[in-house]
Amino acid sequence: MQVEERSVGSYTVVTVVDARIDAQGADDFRAEITRVAQGGNRRILLDLSEVTFIDSTGLGAIIASLKQLGPDGDLVICGARNSVGSLFRLTRMDKVFRIFATSDEALAALAAG
Amino acid sequence: MLSDDVRFHLTYSIGKEPADASPADLCRALSLAVRQRLTDVRLATERRYSERDAKRVYYLSMEFLIGRSLDNNLLNLGLRDEAEKLLSARGSSLDSVLPQERDAALGNGGLGRLAACFLDSLATLGMPGYGYGIHYEFGLFKQEIVNGEQRERPDHWFAHDSPWIVEHLDEACLVPVYGHVEHQLDRAGNYNPMWLGWKVLIGVPHDLPVVGWEGKTVNVLRLYSARASDEFDMQIFNDGDYFKAVEQKAASETVSKVLYPSDSLAAGRELRLVQEYFLVACAVRDIVRRYTKAHASFDAFPSKVAIQLNDTHPALTVAELMRLLVDEESLDWDRAWEITRAALGYTNHTLLPEALEKWSVPLFEKVLPRHLQIIYEINRRFLEEVSIRFPGDVARLRDMSIVEEGETKQIRMAYLSIVGSHSVNGVAALHSELVKSTLVPRFHEMWPERFHNKTNGVTPRRWLLGANPGLAALVTEAIGPGWVSDLDRLRGLDALAGDAAFQEKFAAVKRENKVRLAALIRSLTRAKVDPDSLFDVQIKRIHEYKRQLLLVLHVIHDYFRLVQDGDVSGPPRTYVFAGKAAPGYAVARRIIRLINSVGEVIRKDPRVKGRIEVVFLPDYRVSLAEAIVPAADLSEQISTAGKEASGTGNMKLSMNGALTIGTLDGANVEIREEVGPENFFLFGLTAPEVERMRRERSWDPWGVYQTDAGVRRVMDSLAGDVFCPWHPGHFLPIFRRILGEGDEYFHLADFGSYEEAHRRVGETFLDRPAWRAMAIRNVARTGKFSSDRTIREYAEEVWGVAPVL
Repeated sequence: MQVEERSVGSYTVVTVVDARIDAQGADDFRAEITRVAQGGNRRILLDLSEVTFIDSTGLGAIIASLKQLGPDGDLVICGARNSVGSLFRLTRMDKVFRIFATSDEALAALAAG
Repeated sequence: MLSDDVRFHLTYSIGKEPADASPADLCRALSLAVRQRLTDVRLATERRYSERDAKRVYYLSMEFLIGRSLDNNLLNLGLRDEAEKLLSARGSSLDSVLPQERDAALGNGGLGRLAACFLDSLATLGMPGYGYGIHYEFGLFKQEIVNGEQRERPDHWFAHDSPWIVEHLDEACLVPVYGHVEHQLDRAGNYNPMWLGWKVLIGVPHDLPVVGWEGKTVNVLRLYSARASDEFDMQIFNDGDYFKAVEQKAASETVSKVLYPSDSLAAGRELRLVQEYFLVACAVRDIVRRYTKAHASFDAFPSKVAIQLNDTHPALTVAELMRLLVDEESLDWDRAWEITRAALGYTNHTLLPEALEKWSVPLFEKVLPRHLQIIYEINRRFLEEVSIRFPGDVARLRDMSIVEEGETKQIRMAYLSIVGSHSVNGVAALHSELVKSTLVPRFHEMWPERFHNKTNGVTPRRWLLGANPGLAALVTEAIGPGWVSDLDRLRGLDALAGDAAFQEKFAAVKRENKVRLAALIRSLTRAKVDPDSLFDVQIKRIHEYKRQLLLVLHVIHDYFRLVQDGDVSGPPRTYVFAGKAAPGYAVARRIIRLINSVGEVIRKDPRVKGRIEVVFLPDYRVSLAEAIVPAADLSEQISTAGKEASGTGNMKLSMNGALTIGTLDGANVEIREEVGPENFFLFGLTAPEVERMRRERSWDPWGVYQTDAGVRRVMDSLAGDVFCPWHPGHFLPIFRRILGEGDEYFHLADFGSYEEAHRRVGETFLDRPAWRAMAIRNVARTGKFSSDRTIREYAEEVWGVAPVL
């Protein structure tokens, strides 16, 4: 699982570069989030703009990552394409995560508190 | 020009020199040329609907028994004569080309054929109506008769090679199944169940055009096939586990592989539940996709969308639409429920308790965990409503609950359909009354306004104009062509019923049809039948309640009367049977064996001298019905009263000038009212009489056996080896079914009355002018049974859709 990360304000923006988060990549994904969190920042903006498909294991990994970040942490989603966004709605994960259309929009909203 | 397009397709789609084209090539090229025209009209039709933002009706059905399409499409487009000319110029003809098309047998019987007739009528009336079904790779099995027994072969109906069907991969949708619900909180701290851990199927739509009479409207039947998710496959392939990948792909695609035969205990089979959900999920997603293209909110949904559930098979629509509105579109529950109920209508098709679908809760939870949660919530709110209305009535709550209590809890799909719809209808007047009074009386008490009747109908384009061109031409000559889209005009024939010249022409058409059927019988069974004998026809799915056995008992009785009593009264008769038995339905299979054995014994008996012939035509399907119906003299509609919902074969046969011998069951009641009791051979117990005898346990078949020597002779022949010298006792189970197990379907109770009716049939048939007048009156008075009338009623009273012309 290839990810890129950068810090913007109080969040670390983690961009998933792979096109898929599925059963094959779910463990890697969680490991990447753990690594970022262990780096000190438990507030993550997950940019999914490069992702075209997430299966239910991938979605489960995102949920598990949120739990792993704990009550002080945060996991915010941005950039989800239609196909990915529809899966968030299907599972009702859109009601758990804050979801923004783009990273800029997300960062502006997060900065505004 | 059609001929130019046919030449084009012969060359470029099939790759042959036009001069070398076989009848099969010509069939395909002609179909492709016709499809071009259908596509133009289809696109124009869709534009018209979109421009007007018309309300659309969606007919969800697990079955569409389409049959062949080419002839019907040529007729409705007005291209039949042109096609005949161009084929003739090539030294061929429609007679040789049309049979090249395989029937699309994506249904078991009446319910599926009704769906196909409805689509024809929707298009004829210019109404925005879409069918949604499954693109089964294998339709209903092909039936062969080997040594008198049914053998099944898979029917690979060219699913991937039909000239009519166009795949739309770009509109494929994702269908999750299985998984579990995780109980989480949302951001605001409210309960938020999440459906996770599912597997995913891809639903790929395939569109089949449906053209109305005169070709102004072409609607679409959208059939979905299941595919494996490419992404999954690719990953496993990449990992090198080729076999696992293929297995997974095959398992996913099994979902649309095969149509379940009815009566085969589909309930309890996981794959069937997945199939039903697959249809519903694909259809609902597509309906919402089309709606949201033109609308920003769901406020207008019920005024733009009507969804009709053809029986309970698509009942999951209630839960799926709720899930989509609440989970995906974030509507609050009450609003979503209002929308769902306003959009949905439910048609009940059966009173047989064993045919009412139920799914065990553990299976449901495994396949559709989130939907089960939603159904529980629907049920909780519903029972709350019931308890407010009927305080303290615990028994009522238990009776009406969508969740049936017991060792294993079950979800009652009919109840879910009723609770989730604004409209519930039966399919004939008697049936609708029985739905209210015996099937779900408590629901009727709760919501009387929701219940009504929509008597079935059949399309006269296929079943008269197409199937019986001789009679159609005669009718047109007599009353003009308007009847094709306004079947009530057939009334104009009434005045001609006694007209000797018209009778002669009518009889000539019937004889020609019988000669044609005799040739087909010869080719299918090697039996030689006399076209001047009375063609006595029973064609339908083999089921005990439909009582093919009663007709067989009559045949045996007739045979013994002839060869043992020397009674030669009445006309020579040819008994024509056709129908499939569900592969797992042992009694039905044995009845087929009995029909064939009785036929064989009679055929070999020199004393019969051609006065009785019994044939069983194999592989009953739409195209075979189209050959039999126009040639029938007598239509056997002899189900146990109170068991047949409607029947539509009864309508087709009457419309083609067959007289009915029948019980007061299903739509027979209305056929008799329309054609007049004097033109109908009535017999048997009524539904209330049957019900009373059942309730009082007063039915005693042994009593009849002991007191009626004729019955005893017939029944004893089943116990002995008269019809099974090759295996004495082979028909003993049928003997026992009637005399040992209480004769559940009242064969012997109706036998005397049935014999009496048959005697009247025989006498009347010998009075040729009288018979012909009755037959003409049957044709003249069947206008009510056009599916155009049925669809108009649904459109006005249930769907609120109007023609968009």
